[in-house]
Amino acid sequence: MTTPPFEAFLARLYTDAAFRERVMADPRGEAQRAGLSAEQSEAIARLDRPGLGFTARSLEKKKRLRPS
Amino acid sequence: MAVEEDGAVAVEANKDRFGLSWRPELAAGVLLNRGRVDCIEVISDDYLDADAKRVRALVALSRELPVLLHSIHLGPATTSRVEDAPIEKLARLVDRIRPESWSEHVAFVRAGGIEVGHLAAPPRDAATVDGTLANLDRIRRLTGTAPEIENIATLIEPPGSTMTEQAWLTAIFAACPNGWLFDLHNVYANAINFGFDAREFLASLPPDRVHTIHLAGGKWIEDRAENRRYLDDHLHPVPGPVYDLLAFTAARAPRPLTVILERDGDFPPTADLLAELDLARAAVARGRKVLHDHAAI
Repeated sequence: MTTPPFEAFLARLYTDAAFRERVMADPRGEAQRAGLSAEQSEAIARLDRPGLGFTARSLEKKKRLRPS
Repeated sequence: MAVEEDGAVAVEANKDRFGLSWRPELAAGVLLNRGRVDCIEVISDDYLDADAKRVRALVALSRELPVLLHSIHLGPATTSRVEDAPIEKLARLVDRIRPESWSEHVAFVRAGGIEVGHLAAPPRDAATVDGTLANLDRIRRLTGTAPEIENIATLIEPPGSTMTEQAWLTAIFAACPNGWLFDLHNVYANAINFGFDAREFLASLPPDRVHTIHLAGGKWIEDRAENRRYLDDHLHPVPGPVYDLLAFTAARAPRPLTVILERDGDFPPTADLLAELDLARAAVARGRKVLHDHAAI
């Protein structure tokens, strides 16, 4: 179930390259350290890694272009 | 739709309109071709902190061409409460410009004090449905109008999702009065990236709620491991299958449609954009013929 901390975790995952690297190295550990539930930690462990990379790069570029 | 004397259902297809997203680079081309550009869509974020002179210029522009406002920054698709201040700021702009309509995305753009910087797809579950509905209700109360809401493109299946995009949007539409801004290129991109049928997706959503359509283009991108995704980048011409989705939508949507071509960069000559608008007109005409033929049976 989505909660504000889970959304904050995703926002950081999408925008903070160093954090993203740490999460990819130890997804369950980082999720637990952020106080996420077991179910949310599992969702982070299972996430689509190529999709995450594409998303992070796209958000960085779109920030510069801006309109949607 | 109206019922004519002979009992046929008259579709107000003659009121379908075709316009462009307003960008400074396109201004001259738009103003010189007002006969072929029926309306424009302006990014409201560009005017939220604008000085009085710029806002007056937008008011003047709105007297030349019908203006729709398009917002990016509210981010209602979240379990957190969207703050009052940005909604009230937008409400003041809407009140000043009095656009024909305004729109916002079902996306989240910030969480826990972190700005994502653009539109992100929220985890699709019951909690974000409830959060989105609560925020849309607050936006409606604070602005006095309900924005049309737009589906977004995503390159990642949002982690934590327990619902498909189709089920998530359906749940939101079933419980709010907002009109729908169908971004057909976003549907096309998500269908490619996540393996669903775009027409089935569109057919599952309420056609009578569709007011506005976005068209755009994109490109394939690839990472070092040769994974591929199709990116909605607004820098390329509208692909052919998106015009087919437009015809499909026009064949189902009973309201007059406003079709906006979005282009954010790598601007081609104005003639090319006008040619894309003509393709959109032709696609809507194809769809309207199907709708009329169906209504006449």
